[in-house]
Amino acid sequence: MLLAVLIANSEGNILVERFNGVPGEERLHWRSFLVKLGADNLKGVKNEELLVACHKSVYIVYTVLGHVSIYLVGKDEYDELALSEAIFVVTSAIKDVCGKPPTERLFLDKYGRICLCLDEIVWKGLLENTDKDRIKRLIRLKPPTEF
Amino acid sequence: MAQYVKKDDDRDEEAEYSPFSGIEKGAVLQEARVFNDPQLDSRRCSQVITKLLYLLNQGDTFTKVEATEVFFSVTKLFQARDIGLRRMVYLIIKELSPCADEVIIVTSSLMKDMNSKTDVYRANAIRVLCRITDGTLLTQIERYLKQAIVDKNPVVASAALVSGYHLLQTNPEIVKRWSNEVQEAVQSRAALVQFHALALLHQIRQNDRLAVSKLVTSLTKGTVRSPLAQCLLIRYTTQVIRESSMNSQPGDRPFYDYLEGCLRHKSEMVILEAARAITELSGVTSRELTPAITVLQLFLSSSKPVLRFAAVRTLNKVAMTHPMAVTSCNIDMESLISDQNRSIATLAITTLLKTGNESGVDRLMKQITNFMSDIADEFKIVVVDAIRSLCLKFPLKFRTLMNFLSNILREEGGFEYKKAIVDSIVTIIRDIPDAKESGLLHLCEFIEDCEFTYLSTQILHFLGIEGPKTSDPSKFIRYIYNRVILENATVRASAVSTLAKFGATVDSLKPRIFVLLRRCLYDNDDEVRDRATLYLNTIGGDGSVVETDKEVKEFLFGSFDLPLVNLETSLKNYEPSDEPFDVSSVPREVKSQPFAEKKAAAKKPTGLGAPPPAPTSTVDAYEKLLVSIPEFSTFGQLFKSSAPVELTEAETEYAVNVVKHIFDKHVVFQYNCTNTIPEQLLENVTIVVDASEAEEFEEIATKALKSLPYDTPGQTFVAFEKPEGVPSVGKFANVLRFIVKEVDPTSGEAEEDGVEDEYQLEEFEVVAADYMLKVGVSNFRNAWESLGPDFERVDEYGLGPRESLKEAVTAVINLLGMQPCEGTEVVAANSRSHTCLLSGVYIGNVKVLVRLSFGLDSGKEVAMKLAVRSEDEAVSDAIHELVAN
Repeated sequence: MLLAVLIANSEGNILVERFNGVPGEERLHWRSFLVKLGADNLKGVKNEELLVACHKSVYIVYTVLGHVSIYLVGKDEYDELALSEAIFVVTSAIKDVCGKPPTERLFLDKYGRICLCLDEIVWKGLLENTDKDRIKRLIRLKPPTEF
Repeated sequence: MAQYVKKDDDRDEEAEYSPFSGIEKGAVLQEARVFNDPQLDSRRCSQVITKLLYLLNQGDTFTKVEATEVFFSVTKLFQARDIGLRRMVYLIIKELSPCADEVIIVTSSLMKDMNSKTDVYRANAIRVLCRITDGTLLTQIERYLKQAIVDKNPVVASAALVSGYHLLQTNPEIVKRWSNEVQEAVQSRAALVQFHALALLHQIRQNDRLAVSKLVTSLTKGTVRSPLAQCLLIRYTTQVIRESSMNSQPGDRPFYDYLEGCLRHKSEMVILEAARAITELSGVTSRELTPAITVLQLFLSSSKPVLRFAAVRTLNKVAMTHPMAVTSCNIDMESLISDQNRSIATLAITTLLKTGNESGVDRLMKQITNFMSDIADEFKIVVVDAIRSLCLKFPLKFRTLMNFLSNILREEGGFEYKKAIVDSIVTIIRDIPDAKESGLLHLCEFIEDCEFTYLSTQILHFLGIEGPKTSDPSKFIRYIYNRVILENATVRASAVSTLAKFGATVDSLKPRIFVLLRRCLYDNDDEVRDRATLYLNTIGGDGSVVETDKEVKEFLFGSFDLPLVNLETSLKNYEPSDEPFDVSSVPREVKSQPFAEKKAAAKKPTGLGAPPPAPTSTVDAYEKLLVSIPEFSTFGQLFKSSAPVELTEAETEYAVNVVKHIFDKHVVFQYNCTNTIPEQLLENVTIVVDASEAEEFEEIATKALKSLPYDTPGQTFVAFEKPEGVPSVGKFANVLRFIVKEVDPTSGEAEEDGVEDEYQLEEFEVVAADYMLKVGVSNFRNAWESLGPDFERVDEYGLGPRESLKEAVTAVINLLGMQPCEGTEVVAANSRSHTCLLSGVYIGNVKVLVRLSFGLDSGKEVAMKLAVRSEDEAVSDAIHELVAN
């Protein structure tokens, strides 16, 4: 299960937070844990360079893209390898929508489309689409080209 | 959206401006009224939905009324023709997740979309419907979903499959009917459809071993297109291998070739998954392991952190079972100590700690010292745990390791970290007698400046038990009495108890301890004064409180053998009256399992075995439990309790395991039972044991379990008598017998009448190793010399052909059930000879040491020389008999 997708700005404020199968009372804990993890480790990291951690039996893969940081949390079959696949899709989709690694402002400007992309990529904790061109078409309700 | 793009152009001037700045839920809900406009402004509507999504994604929640209102307005948007808006509508409906009675309003629109000619409408409608639907609606749309699964458009098929995966949780009986369609989708040419179909098919069939096995067999021969699906297949294959390993011949490993083939896959993810699967095979040989270790080693120097992490994480696990196999990677691993990603560095260090040899310890510790200062507490804890294991493996290195621990104890750190260090020092003191004095002094230094009350009290308790047994107990008094002067009341009270223990045990200190205790009588805290008074009267009293010295020690050091829950209940029920509360009226029977029977229980106790909050060791808990049962209270001292042996397979109706408790003249089988069926209550649960293949055992008592409700573990016991001090062996067949009562799932009440029923359990054996305690020695050579050659017995044995030397060594260690010393259980890869040192205590408390010398000839025949020394000639002979038989 892909437990969480969290996107924050460089100050650690949450821009997008989507949890799956995480009880409400644990979400705050996860949010602060991830933001702290980012604050401790993401300084000076290059765009899209992946960092990885595990906390209990849960894996976390996170990265920086422009001025936003992106965190994916998973467990069981969504281990660090599957998460790195998923985060690659997320970062490519965001870059695609924004045209480049986004500033916070650009990210918020494209907020609606980014939400649609995330909806196509992760659905209730399962990875659904992984191809950025297909996702680009799907959020505009266009059929995939390869079909 | 167009408006947003415009903003994008002048972002430099307005970099700080956020389109959502000052956003407020009430205002957005007001704005949502535009959805009701007769002339819909699609762009405006999209913007409002974006704002709603922003609120929801920030963790904001809508009240029931707010959500309903927005939902009803949103449904109006189905009239709009704008496709961008339609896509947003699908998303916001899912996010609002309306309740069942509201859903009806969109179902017709969604059903229309589901039959639309536009595929993407269909895919989205399926996802929304499945998200908001309940069982009744699902049967209506089932037909469409089945068609969608085999739809030629991959987007539609994936939508239906992923929906099926989610619906399986809530409506399994419906989704299971889609097997044929899902099976067809597994053959799809679209990579992702195949991935989703495989995941769903496995979920549907996960309890049907044969079906999973067939699925794996057919797919491993065919083509799997997506790397993700390939990874799933590898996992399912590992599961099949694990389950079939019980029935297959040794050496015959189905699917190994497939896994090995995956090591050459073009996707790194697949390679790693396959390598991981190979390392996790049960009883994996070094030949099977080599190709996997080779690819993992390559990944250690990958430029991608995720791959380095995955590789080192896997090698870390391998190091626990096959440390020698990993040593070839040590050089690569050492360079990872400076990896920027601290998770990778920590894993590398802990792996090195497991695989390193004794001579490398000092060098490794130097590297770690630099590393410790720049990692977070949670990583430090992992390192501390690894150092503890290393110290137990190489007891001669305790000075270096203890110094390291005491140094980091002085540095900054949170509670959990400090606790881990203290626990490690305590474990080392317990297991390595030579480390006691220096270890206790380190702890004393620590409590001089310890900010954690819990740790101070725990250490004081431990000092009270171990301190008096050292060569110069007086040197600890200063540290303890300083606590009485400087600390808070809780710590002061603990310090008073510790002082009393020194006074009671060390006669020469008694008068001076009395002086100190008398000073405590003027403490401003009640508890501290009370304790001082109590101890002065017990240790130095006139006999009115306790009469003999033995009673004093029993009072001070004896364990508190009442279950605290029972005591609490009794005290709550006690009504103030003339009659004082009587402790002996508290029931001793433990109602539910007092200790975690999880895998963790198998670990050695690491904490301080102090009163209430600290975890007591499993053996202590067993002993207390058995003493509390009148039938077994006369059996004397418990010699050994085995690890739990499973008597049922995983995921059966009733889960039962047995713990064998060995006494001098008796054995008690403790059956830990769990009822996994919510609709059943079991009563009067007993085990009928057939001991016809255990001739020397005679059943003497059974203790039934009165009631076994769903998911609340309980225990039933059977006791046998056996010849005194004799290591009798035998096989026991078991049947679980009980009265089953139906439970109403809604009310949780059980029916009055029950039916008698039985459940067949697996057999288990009492073996010779059950009579041997694993007790290590810190310096084997010294211990061997001190036992002397008087009762030494030496003989040679042929062990026949073996797969490897390691296998032979492990087999003999398991047969004898003794503690390997100085890391000699680890056999170097490809070595042709090996010496293994074992130590233990045999029933009757006889110390035994064993030296095993193995040799392997060209025909893989293993020869073994066994030298035994013990305190008793008969025991030395018995060990030889064990091997000879």
